[in-house]
Amino acid sequence: MNGTTTVSIVGVGGQGILLAAAVLAEAAMAEGLDVKSSEVKGMAQRGGSVLSTVRFGKRVWSPVARHAEVVIATERLEGQRALGLLAPRGALVCATTRIEPGSVLRREEVYPDDLEAQAAARGLRLVLVDADSLAREAGTVRAANVVLLGAASSVLPFAPESWALGLAAAVPAKILEVNERAFALGREAAPAQEV
Amino acid sequence: MERVLFLSGNEAIAHGALRAGVRFVCGYPGTPSTEIVETAATLEGLHAEWCVNEKVAMETAVGASLAGVRSLVTMKHVGLNVAADPFMTLSLTGVNAGLVVVTADDPGMHSSQNEQDNRTYAKFAKVPLLEPSDGQEAYDFVAEAFALSEEFDTPVLLRTTTRLSHGRGRVVPRVPVEVEPRDYERDMTKYVMVPQHARIRNRVVLERLQALRARAEVTPLNVLEAGTVDFGIIASGVAHAYAREAFPKAWFLKLGLSHPLPYDKVARLYQSVSRVAVVEELDPFLEEQVRALGLPVVGKEAIPADGELDQELVFTALEPYLSRRPPRRRRPVVPPAPRLSTPPAPAPGLPVRPPVLCPGCTHRSVYAVLRRRRLAALGDIGCYTLGALPPLLALDSCLCMGASIGMMAGFNAALGRKAAAAVIGDSTFFHSGVTPLIDAHYNESQGLVLVLDNRTTAMTGHQGHPGTGRRADGSEGPAVDIGALCEGVGVRCTTVDATDYDALDSAIADEAERPGLGVVVARAPCILMTRRTPGTVVVDPERCNLCGLCLDLGCPALVPGDRAMTVTDQCTGCGLCIEVCRRGALSYHEPEAGP
Repeated sequence: MNGTTTVSIVGVGGQGILLAAAVLAEAAMAEGLDVKSSEVKGMAQRGGSVLSTVRFGKRVWSPVARHAEVVIATERLEGQRALGLLAPRGALVCATTRIEPGSVLRREEVYPDDLEAQAAARGLRLVLVDADSLAREAGTVRAANVVLLGAASSVLPFAPESWALGLAAAVPAKILEVNERAFALGREAAPAQEV
Repeated sequence: MERVLFLSGNEAIAHGALRAGVRFVCGYPGTPSTEIVETAATLEGLHAEWCVNEKVAMETAVGASLAGVRSLVTMKHVGLNVAADPFMTLSLTGVNAGLVVVTADDPGMHSSQNEQDNRTYAKFAKVPLLEPSDGQEAYDFVAEAFALSEEFDTPVLLRTTTRLSHGRGRVVPRVPVEVEPRDYERDMTKYVMVPQHARIRNRVVLERLQALRARAEVTPLNVLEAGTVDFGIIASGVAHAYAREAFPKAWFLKLGLSHPLPYDKVARLYQSVSRVAVVEELDPFLEEQVRALGLPVVGKEAIPADGELDQELVFTALEPYLSRRPPRRRRPVVPPAPRLSTPPAPAPGLPVRPPVLCPGCTHRSVYAVLRRRRLAALGDIGCYTLGALPPLLALDSCLCMGASIGMMAGFNAALGRKAAAAVIGDSTFFHSGVTPLIDAHYNESQGLVLVLDNRTTAMTGHQGHPGTGRRADGSEGPAVDIGALCEGVGVRCTTVDATDYDALDSAIADEAERPGLGVVVARAPCILMTRRTPGTVVVDPERCNLCGLCLDLGCPALVPGDRAMTVTDQCTGCGLCIEVCRRGALSYHEPEAGP
């Protein structure tokens, strides 16, 4: 709305959603943009659904938005849940990671397998990334969140230097290198995966 | 018929409570409220007790109401500040048997540190407010308050002021109200106020407020009294008595149920007279609402906004306005019923993903033990509140920080047996669990208090607390020992290692069987702080028949395969699933010694 871009990052508590949001916000600031973000983090480590929103543009007023131009999902089901958040012709950058919630494990509910069809039916752009494998290749499966940021960088209007500054600002120095590798692998993977 | 009594307002409330079928009265002394509990304690047929403070008194009354008996809790105006935490959320949960909160305000500050007008609490909590104006009404309104409480499933605020509480008058006793204790039925969506339940209850409250306003229009508690002059007064409580004496010929809208305000009755008064005044002590509580209807009114520009009123003051304040030209009559602009938000609909057909207790969390062990004990589990606020969600479904209530122990005391007092246990975390225990433990000991309450001591304030991100000694800047201060604290109070306390399932089971079993009050501290550091993996659990596929006993623990590390359970790499090796398996299908796999 009003020249502001909204990116929502969704996933399961403990997957590093808040860190990914921090990197994105820092990258946007490195672009010289105004940024606002919001998150609900009381349950962030307890395995529930987590949503973090980052908005950037020349002047950002509201910290929240009902719809996002880009959704980054660190888990498939959460990506599918977020389809309703996407604005028309928006992009969903989604991990192939599958984490079954308790109700599915107990066979009370069924894990959906129609993400591609649902995204296509809504006319959305879907970028599926095997984030876990790429993160392991980079050095740790915990960097899957940053792999996805790398993949999303193909659809976001930031210069590579801004992403590098964003990573350096938000990621602890001890794990910066492995996250830089993860970002690069994600960025390489994205266009090849594009439908 | 009994003879006519000459009672103070406070005595009348106590007698009115007995007549209304109240079985449990509690409070904390505070002028001008004190004599209600004092009088109740002399009456046969109800139990009255002093609590350690107003918050604990409120929670104890909530426990008794939940157990099924009508309960009354009393305090002075500033006491409701102390009890505001349970009071505000009690509006959301509603009651089982009726619950009435008496607030005794002190205009003029005869014996108080401030002069707050607690009518605002009724508006704040969206609950009905009753304001008796003399001793007879104080007596009668108690039964009215309980009827409203049960009909509308809400606590009711009954407000008195010093002149009513400590004034005396004739009281004609009425025929007692016949009430049977209600059965307690577990209803987690009503009594466990986790966000997903509270959002639903919040809408119930907003709709209830509209229904109460409709009731305020028709109840005989709100009377439009015709006068013989072209002047009307809106008043409630003792202010009505002053105004009635000052202006005997005026029209009156006398509000007994003064919140929510009956708009139509106000409009009818404006149809009958051309000048209207609101006479009220302290805040322009009614006046602001009348002005919001777009109606001209004489209020706080004439009637002092502080101190007490009396009939002379009211007369001299309003008399000049009677000779002035009346304002042009206007029709009220009644505000439309507020719109409710449209909560984001869950994506249809997709599995929900609520937060869960972590793999290896020892709270899970406590719930696994507790659910075999047939005790209502009155919960509190922290990570362990997640035990209320599927599949554990282990809690009966969650009201506010520190409510569990007081509610347990009231619940068990109402039923006369050890029917409920309290479940409270270590940080919450220090927050506000110590005072209700002292209270339960003092009042010889029965109960089992389970302190889930994971050595941190886990839910908010592992902050320190007095039990750990760890301070905000990371430095170490002296730590308070929960066991020693309990023993200092005089309550027996057993501390067990929460990772030792058998020890936990026998400690809880022992305490559940023993009479009186006992504490079990289930102690083990939060798994997120230790993340130790002594070994992992392995499944013997020959023995596992997928019975689901381990699955009922809700551990994210246990996943059913096609023919047997499987264990994911989230397993911390806590071994709780091994304990609950009846077929010996699960066992430890010790890691091999490193090179």
